[in-house]
Parts: sequence; structure tokens; C-alpha cells
Amino acid sequence: MAEFAWDAAPPLGGVFVAGRSGAAAGSPGVRLEERRGLSLVQVMAHRGKWPAVEAAAESLFKAKPPARPAALFADRATLVWSGPGQFLILGAGDGFADPLAPYAQAFREAASLSDQSDGRALIRVSGRHARDTLAKVSSLDLHPAVFPVGAAAATSVDHTNVGLWRAPDAADGAPVFDLLVFRSFAPSLWERLAASGAEYGVDSAAGDFSEAA
Amino acid sequence: MADIAHSPAALKRAEAEAAAKPRARGASQARRLAGGGLIDRQKPLSFTFDGKRMSGFAGDTLASALLASGVGLVARSFKYHRPRGVLTAGPEEPNALVELRTGARLEPNSKATTVELFDGLVAKSQNRWPSLRHDVGAVNGALSPLFVVGFYYKTFMWPPKAWEKLYEPAIRRAAGLGSASGVPDPDHYEKAWAHCDLLVVGSGPAGLSAALAAGRAGARVILCENDFMLGGRLLSDAFEIDGRSGAEWAQGAIDELAGMPNVRIMPRTTVFGGYDGGTYGAVERVGDHLPQPSEHQPRQRLWRIVAKRTVDASGAIERPLVFPGNDRPGVMMAGAVRTYLNRFAASPGRRVAVFTNNDDGWRTAQAVLAAGGEIAAVIDPRGVPEAFRMAAAGWRVIEGEVVGTKGTLDALTSVEVADARGGVVTVPCDVLAMSGGWNPAVGLSSFHRGRPVWKDEIAAFVPGKCPTGLTVAGAAKGDLSLGACLQEGFSAGAKAAVEAGLSGSPGEPAQAADEPVAVRALWEVKAPGKAGQKAGQKAFVDFQHDVTADDVRLAQREGFESVEHLKRYTTLGMATDQGKTSNVNGLAILAEAKGEKIPETGTTIYRPPQVPVAIAALAGPNRDEHFHATRLPPSHHWAAKRGAVFVDVGLWKRAQWYPLAHEKDWLESVNREVLAVRNGVGFCDVSTLGKIDVRGRDAGAFLDRVYINTFSSLAVGKARYGVMLREDGFVMDDGTTSRLAEDHYFVTTTTAKAGPVMQHLEFCRQALWPELDVQLASATDQWAQFSVAGLKTRDLLQNLVDPAEDLSNEGFPFMAAREVKLRGGMRARLFRISFSGELAFEIAVPARFGGSLAENLMQAGAAFGVTPYGTEALGTMRIEKGHAAGAELNGWTTAGDLGFGKMMSKKKDFIGRVMAGREELQRPDRPAVVGVKPLNPADRLRGGAHVLPRNAKLGPDTDQGFLTSVCFSPVLGRWIALALVARGRERHGEVVRIYDPLRNGDFEAELCNPVFYDPEGARQRG
Repeated sequence: MAEFAWDAAPPLGGVFVAGRSGAAAGSPGVRLEERRGLSLVQVMAHRGKWPAVEAAAESLFKAKPPARPAALFADRATLVWSGPGQFLILGAGDGFADPLAPYAQAFREAASLSDQSDGRALIRVSGRHARDTLAKVSSLDLHPAVFPVGAAAATSVDHTNVGLWRAPDAADGAPVFDLLVFRSFAPSLWERLAASGAEYGVDSAAGDFSEAA
Repeated sequence: MADIAHSPAALKRAEAEAAAKPRARGASQARRLAGGGLIDRQKPLSFTFDGKRMSGFAGDTLASALLASGVGLVARSFKYHRPRGVLTAGPEEPNALVELRTGARLEPNSKATTVELFDGLVAKSQNRWPSLRHDVGAVNGALSPLFVVGFYYKTFMWPPKAWEKLYEPAIRRAAGLGSASGVPDPDHYEKAWAHCDLLVVGSGPAGLSAALAAGRAGARVILCENDFMLGGRLLSDAFEIDGRSGAEWAQGAIDELAGMPNVRIMPRTTVFGGYDGGTYGAVERVGDHLPQPSEHQPRQRLWRIVAKRTVDASGAIERPLVFPGNDRPGVMMAGAVRTYLNRFAASPGRRVAVFTNNDDGWRTAQAVLAAGGEIAAVIDPRGVPEAFRMAAAGWRVIEGEVVGTKGTLDALTSVEVADARGGVVTVPCDVLAMSGGWNPAVGLSSFHRGRPVWKDEIAAFVPGKCPTGLTVAGAAKGDLSLGACLQEGFSAGAKAAVEAGLSGSPGEPAQAADEPVAVRALWEVKAPGKAGQKAGQKAFVDFQHDVTADDVRLAQREGFESVEHLKRYTTLGMATDQGKTSNVNGLAILAEAKGEKIPETGTTIYRPPQVPVAIAALAGPNRDEHFHATRLPPSHHWAAKRGAVFVDVGLWKRAQWYPLAHEKDWLESVNREVLAVRNGVGFCDVSTLGKIDVRGRDAGAFLDRVYINTFSSLAVGKARYGVMLREDGFVMDDGTTSRLAEDHYFVTTTTAKAGPVMQHLEFCRQALWPELDVQLASATDQWAQFSVAGLKTRDLLQNLVDPAEDLSNEGFPFMAAREVKLRGGMRARLFRISFSGELAFEIAVPARFGGSLAENLMQAGAAFGVTPYGTEALGTMRIEKGHAAGAELNGWTTAGDLGFGKMMSKKKDFIGRVMAGREELQRPDRPAVVGVKPLNPADRLRGGAHVLPRNAKLGPDTDQGFLTSVCFSPVLGRWIALALVARGRERHGEVVRIYDPLRNGDFEAELCNPVFYDPEGARQRG
């Protein structure tokens, strides 16, 4: 019997062409990036076990997980609040290795883990017009005084659940936002973002999660 | 009275004459003042009105350009087709409605007073035929004694059927507004959100002062201005602020605001509504002032602005005077005359008479003189106010009232004035500038059921209780003078900043004098004695809907005494101008007729939007294929490459069938797919089914409470079918649940109910039983899950699954579920469950490998003729197997109706148990799922057809149910159906009548066991 090949298809594969779209004048005002090759684990504390979850997270990431809407950028992963007693661990993953394996032991007594690595797509929106672009899809106030780096929200875009947080600013000082969306909704969301940013000029790209800081 | 043509030839002649007489002054801006104005004379613009080429300047509105070109007649009224000219200079305009642009961008009912002129603009008058000057519909005016208020209701009552077919279409043709383009709007529209500490509505003296104070203090300010130019009345009036002209001060304020990074200035933006929590709706006209929107820009943008505080500085609207003949072209609002002279350097006429009951009207006389015009007379029932005694020296002043007007189709020639001594004099003039006082714009401040309150001092309503967080400043509050506007705006802005927690300095308020604004109410001029009767002219209250003072009185006499009833019966205030110039006059006349005071009569309720909003703006980007988000299952791209036909299932695009080149219709493809599965093997992407990870020590106990059957007893490695009820006892959803570990269940739901079930379980977990140790995570998108079904399923899977896995009936029995390894190093889950009735497994891999799973199933099954199948074949096989699905789980069936009554555990409690015991839900004649097959195999069943006893008389009393799911069964070679039929389970074998009047179906069929195929279930267990 011939061997079988398993090719990982990113959620937005075939949905966009990398490069410039929308208004052509000047430098692009907004950059859209699909961050591929995700490992995503939802950690859900057992009843009454949040202190144990914190301890387990500290042992793994040298940081307490967020207990309120926030994103935390640890050495090897990004931790994002996803509900009371819950958070997400974002890291790099190829889909073959079991994403739960690195964490299963640490959280064994404290939390349930759910593999969401293939359930979500991660879209990064950055650039000087990132806020203007997001204002067309999101009801959140993303003003720097209200939504600083590390702020996060479980919100909805176009009737779709979206996790949104602010990552550290880009080198040029422009804001960077990450949007985590259910995989099946990702093409629609991407198209809406690209259309919303068109008047500012859009630079579309795909990047590996592991390559990003 | 306009011509009434009698033959098509005469009409043609009239049209040709009109076209052949281009009025020379039209093209030359004969009425443009030599200097002044806020127009850019370096930027001439060309446009056409009713096909005639005209010119204007950047900074003009269509109305100001028409006036500068000497056009007096711009429109015909709604009901009587009376000739009308420009009345106002703002969004309150009732008369000057035009059709703007052409083709797909044609936009009817555009107010010429708010249309920003652009080069190449094309405008047409509307509601006239064949032309504006020769309008056949004007016969309505001659017949006006017939067209009294309520005329349509009273006249076209009989016969009732004729209303819809005959009367209404005819009336709609004759009375009306512009026409729509009839083709899709080529532009796109956006929605956006904005947030601020302070929203300022209006950029006149009060609005600019508020924005400055708050902006300087450091608040996040959004300043919305309806106009394309900021400044409000400062652009129209000769004011002095801080020693500078009002317009110069405004420019300075705008420059200062533009330099503040915390201030966002939004011109061309109309705040139309106030909603809960300080949220306001606004429309930004991004591209309306361009021939077509710039590339990548929307035509309009709908804003939802969330504001901690709001200052409503939307100003006041001047009130017309109600007197005989007040609707003739050339009669214009006094404040609008100043706007056209000062802002647009356009003269509505040279000889101006002013008719006013308040001091502000006198300022129009001053403005006319300053612009080089002539004062024909100032008519004021109060005589000369003290403040103008000096200025008015040498003017002809008549202490009296205008009682009639004379003129041609498009111009005024004189007005009739009744003086205080009872005499009537004729005053020749081109323009009558009228002012009945100013009504504060109380729209925004009266939302949330705020009722404006009467203020005698200005003879107008002022805001009462305002929406939370909103304060009103300046003219909008009834404080009409400039000094007060500046001071109040400043204070409101400074206060808002403090309330938002800002401590910066608001600076100093601008200073200006308070001009005289005294007024004496004059609600209606009743022509005295014979003079009035002779004139016989109508006195209009609502210009756009042609409602007269007499109409208001008639309505009152007929019993329509409430303002709400008056409004609906006479349509006063219900036109596109929403009665901004007419409402207060109308209810004042009603109050008089009732012998009440105005505040006793009261106002109608204010509701958003306070100006018309295009539906396109409300729809935003959600139209056509973007009406809602689309979800793509993991095999989508693979299926698309194979040429699958897709169907919308909720938000999902699912493969419906996979046609082959030679197949002539869908049924042929679907039959092939069904037979391929039944005789060999096929697969179908079922990833759209909801999947929920239920974890935790109490997961089993939790599921016992939400399902009618028991899951805590399910062994690890096993799957079980479950049904859950709503709290009211009806079926909510069904699906199989597998136990993957002691504390890990994997629940599946139907595609349609994936979201609601997740919500329901979260509610149960968080609100009902927080004491249980349960965690939930949606895993719907995580897994690419395919059903593999058919005799050859095991053969196929043995090629794909790691050889170490035992797939035999003993090693992997029916309803087993566990993780397996696949060849090529893939991890997967395998569930031995069957929807088709065949030997079947569901196989799941991480979603990113969904495309590969399809490819690999094709490869692994190539030797067995593996066939991908779509939702149609899936549906056909489930009907053949008698499985209930969405059409049967329709929200009003019980577990008993669906045949699951025995599954309802008596040993435990569960959601819906008590309510399912209600008498009605236990009734013996409830509908039950039953199979249906026509006696004549050639008869085609159709969903929705009614089921009646064999010889029953047709009617609702004999109706016993209907067909819920229908398919052609290729295995049985005939149409079959599932139906919900009263006592259906007891009636297998009974012949019934299938009646389908919509599709001419009427034949006999037999009720039968709903499991048409392999009723023993041997195949799926094999």
C-alpha cells in the first residue's frame, strides 16, 4: 500500500494573494498577516483549582496566566484570557505532534485542556491605519489609553466570535492587533478586513507563528 | 394654473417650447453678487437642471447655484402639484426636492438645499409630467375642494377589492416623489464605530465653543457637522465675536480644533439618532459630493458613536408664517435669504419684502440692504421693534400681515398686506422673506421619550428631559442669541471634560453681544373680511405634503384631536422633511381649534432617525454575497476543485452533490451517489455538525441532566445517541456523544443547532449548576470529520488506518469510538456510527488536514470505486432510514412525537422532563413521525403536502398533518417521505389522501414504518 501524504492547509490558504491591494498611493496603511502553524491549547481550570492552574502556568512560562481580559507575552508562548478560569496558550505547532502533550502533565490535576490548534485562525492587523480598519469591524474602543499593549477582549465581529488583543507595537511605533477567529469563519473575516483597509492600502502576507516575536 | 394639455401632440408642443427657451440669465449666474460669500470663485462648476446647462462655484449647494442662476421654480408639490421654489437653506427643506444623478446612481428626493454642487452634477425636477413648467397633475390643484384631508380614505372605499388593484397604483403614480433607479446601487457602504468623551452635534457658535473647551481640557472630542462647511449660522450672519467677524472667528476655532490630536472633526456627518448607553447613529456622506465615490472609498459610512457625554448644539429651525398664498416661489425663509446672500453671494431677488413677527426677521432687511438690494417693505404685526427704530428709518414699515401673494409660475410680483387699520395694500416685490420665529431643533434631545416643554418667551418648544448624558446648548436649547450660544457651549464642553475625568484648562469662552430676539406668536394669518375671501388662496402649513390650515381644522372637526391622530390623518409632518418647518404651526392651529393652550395639545413622539437615512447605509457592507459571513468546511477547496455544487446550510457552504459531466440533472447525480454508498463505499464531509468537548469530573452527571437519556453509564470508548429537550419540554436537538476518557465526553449536535446548544450548555454550566466540575470547549472547527459509509468501508479504512489497529466487528464494534493512528503519521479519531444505515465510520483529523483526508480517502478507496457524496445523498439515505432531522426537530415536536418516548429516563431528572409531562404534550392524537409511500409509485411527493383521511372533505378540520421530508429513493425506485401525522404510529398500513393545492398534488398514499431501508439494522452492524 502506498504511503499517504498529509499536507497542512492553512485556514486562509488560497483566500488571498500576498502583496499590495486597495489604494496604491504611498506606503500601505495597514498590514494583514495570517499567522500560520499554530498550536493552541485552551486551559480550563477545574472547579476551585485556579491557584493550582496559576502554579502550573508559572512553572511552564515563569508568569501567572491572565485572570482578566489580557494577553501576556511569555518566552515561549502567548497566554490570552478566554473566560473566567480559562486561558489560551498560543505557540507554534505543525499539527502532527499532539499540542496537548507539552502541557498535559503540568495541568493534570488542575485543568482540562482542549486542543484548538486547528479550530482557529490567527490574523494580525498592524500599521498606522490598523485602528481605522478595525473600527469598521469592531465595536471596541481601541484608543491607546483604553486598550494598551496586552489588553484583550472576547468580542464579536460580523456576528462571529473573535478574540482580539493588542501585541507590542511594531518597530515603527504602529499598533499591532491579533484577531483569533474560528477557522471556518476566517476567509469571511479576512475579506472584510481587506475591504475595510482598502482605502488606506493593504499589504497582505502569510507568516509562521514561530517566526514572530 | 398651469396649462392642462388635452392631447399628446399638445403635450409634445409644450415640452418642445420649454426646451427651446433657455433662459439666458440661467447660464450666466445673473443673480450672483459681485463680491463676498464663502464660495470659491476660482473653481467654477458646471451642472444641468432639467437638461439645461448652468454654472456655479465650489462651495455652492444646488439650491444656491439655482438661485444664483435665477431659477425660481424648482419643484411641484406632492398632492396638488403646485409650483414651488426654494424655501430654506438646510435639511429642513420641504419644497426643493430633485432627482440627482442618472442611471444606477439616480437618487430621488434629494434636497437641493443640502446637495453640495460638483462639476457635472445632473439634477431633474420630479413629480411633474411632462415637464416642470407644464404639469398635467396641476389639475389636482383645481380640483382641490375634492382633495380634502382624508380624501383617499373617504373616496376609494368601494369596492374594497379595487383599492389594491386600481386606486392605489393610480394614486401612487399621480401623487408622489421621485422615482428610484430600479437597478442595484453600484456603490458600497460601510459601518464604523467611534468612541469619545464628548460628542458635539453641530458646529455653530455653541458647538465650536463646546468642542474648544473640551478639546483644550484634553477630552476626546468628536464634532459632527451636517453641512460640508463648519460654522452653522456664523456662515450666514454678520456677527462679531472677540472683535472679529463671526466667520473669521469660526475659521480660527476650526484651525485650533484641527490642531488637537484628541479632536476629530466630521463634516458632512448627520447625527440622526440617539440610542441606549450614549450611543448615537450618524451618517457620514463620504462620496455624495463627488460624481462617484473615490476608488476604495464608500459612498456613505454609518457611524455608531459611543459618547460619555453629548452636547447637542444643533441650533434652531426658522418657522414659516401661515398666510394665504405662502407657498408661491419667491416666498422664502428670512434666515435662508441671509444665508444665500452672505454665505453663497446668491440673490434670491432684488426687491425684498420682509414679513416677520420677531426681531430676527429685521436683520434680513439689513442683510438685503448690505448686499445692495432694496427693501420693498417690512411687515410686522408688532410695528417697529425698539431695537430697530434707528435702522428702520427710511424703510417702508407696515404694521400688519400679509394676506395674499401674486406672481407668475416662477416668481413673485407682489404681496397683499392688511394693515392695522383694516386697509389692504399691494406691495410689489420679487421676494418675500418670512419669519415666524425660531424652533429649537429638539429632535435629538427628545429621543428616549423626552417631551419638549413650551417656552412662551420664544413661542416655541425647548428640550425637556434629555437622554442620559446629553446636554443642550445655545439655540437648540432656546437661547437664540449669539453671546448665550458661545457661553453655553463653552460651559457644556468644559463640564463634559471634567465629568470625563480630564483636568486640563478649557481656556476662555469667546465673547459676543446678545442681539435682540423678541417674538410675538403669530400662528396663522386669517385674511380679514372680503379681502381674504376674494383672494381665496390656501395657507399652507406643511409645504411638502400640501397640508393647509383648513385641513388641520377639518381634521379636528372630524374628531382627530390628538396630535398623533392629526399627524396620521392629515400626513402633516410625515414627509421626507419630517415636518421640521410645519409641526409646531400645525399643532398651534390645532390647539386654537380645540380652544387649548399649545402645551396642552403637546407634541408627537420623537423617534430616530431625525433625518432620512438611506437603507444602503444601514445595510452597510452586508449585501449580496456579503449579506452574512460564510463558513467553509475543511474539504471546501477540494470539493470546489471537483466541481461540487454547493448549498447554503445556515452560514455554511456545503457540497450538495458532485455532478459528473454526462449527468443531466441533480437527481441523476444524487441517485448515483446513494447507490455508490449502498453498494460500495462513499464519504461525506460532516464537519459542520457541532462538536463540543465536555470535560471535568462531573461531565457525566452534567450530560445526564441535559439529555433525556443517561450518559454517566456510557463506557469509555463508546458512543451513544442522545436527545435533549428545551426547558418547555419540546425537543431541542439530538446527536451522538462519545466518551473518550473518564472525564472527557465529545458531544455532537446538528449543524443548525451547534451554536444554540453550546450556549445552552454554557448557561447550564454557569448559571444552573455552578457546583459541578465541568468545562466546555467548542471543537466544531477543530476537526475535519467525514462519514465513510457502505459495504466496502472497512476495506477502505484498512488501507488508510495503521495496520496495528483492529477494525473488525469485534475489535471495533458498532458504536465504538477511539483514537487511532493513520498511515503517514497522522493521529485521528474513529467513531463507528451510521446515519446512512450502512456499515459506516466517522473519521476525524485536525482540520488543517481536511483536504488531505479527502485525497487520501479517494486513494485508499480507489479500488472500491469510492464516491464522494453531498448533502442531498446524505439526506436521501437518512430519509430511507427514517432518521429524524431538522424538518422533524422543528421546535414543536416532543421526544414522543419523534419516537423517542421510551428513551426518556424515569430514574433521573433532566431539563424539560416536567414540562414534557404537560397534558397537551401527552395527548394521544399528537403528530408522530411516519413513513409515506404513494399507492401509485409514479406519483411524486412534495414537502409540505397535507395528509388527510382517505375520503375526507378538504378543510382545516380534516387536516391531520404534513410531509416533512421527501426524497426519491433510488433503492426503492419511488418517492418516499417522512410525515408528522396525528396518531401516525398506530396507522401504518392506512391509505390516506395527500393533498398539495399549491402544486396540484392530490393522490392516495400509504402510511408506513418510517424506516424504509433495512429496518432490522443488520447492515450498519455488519
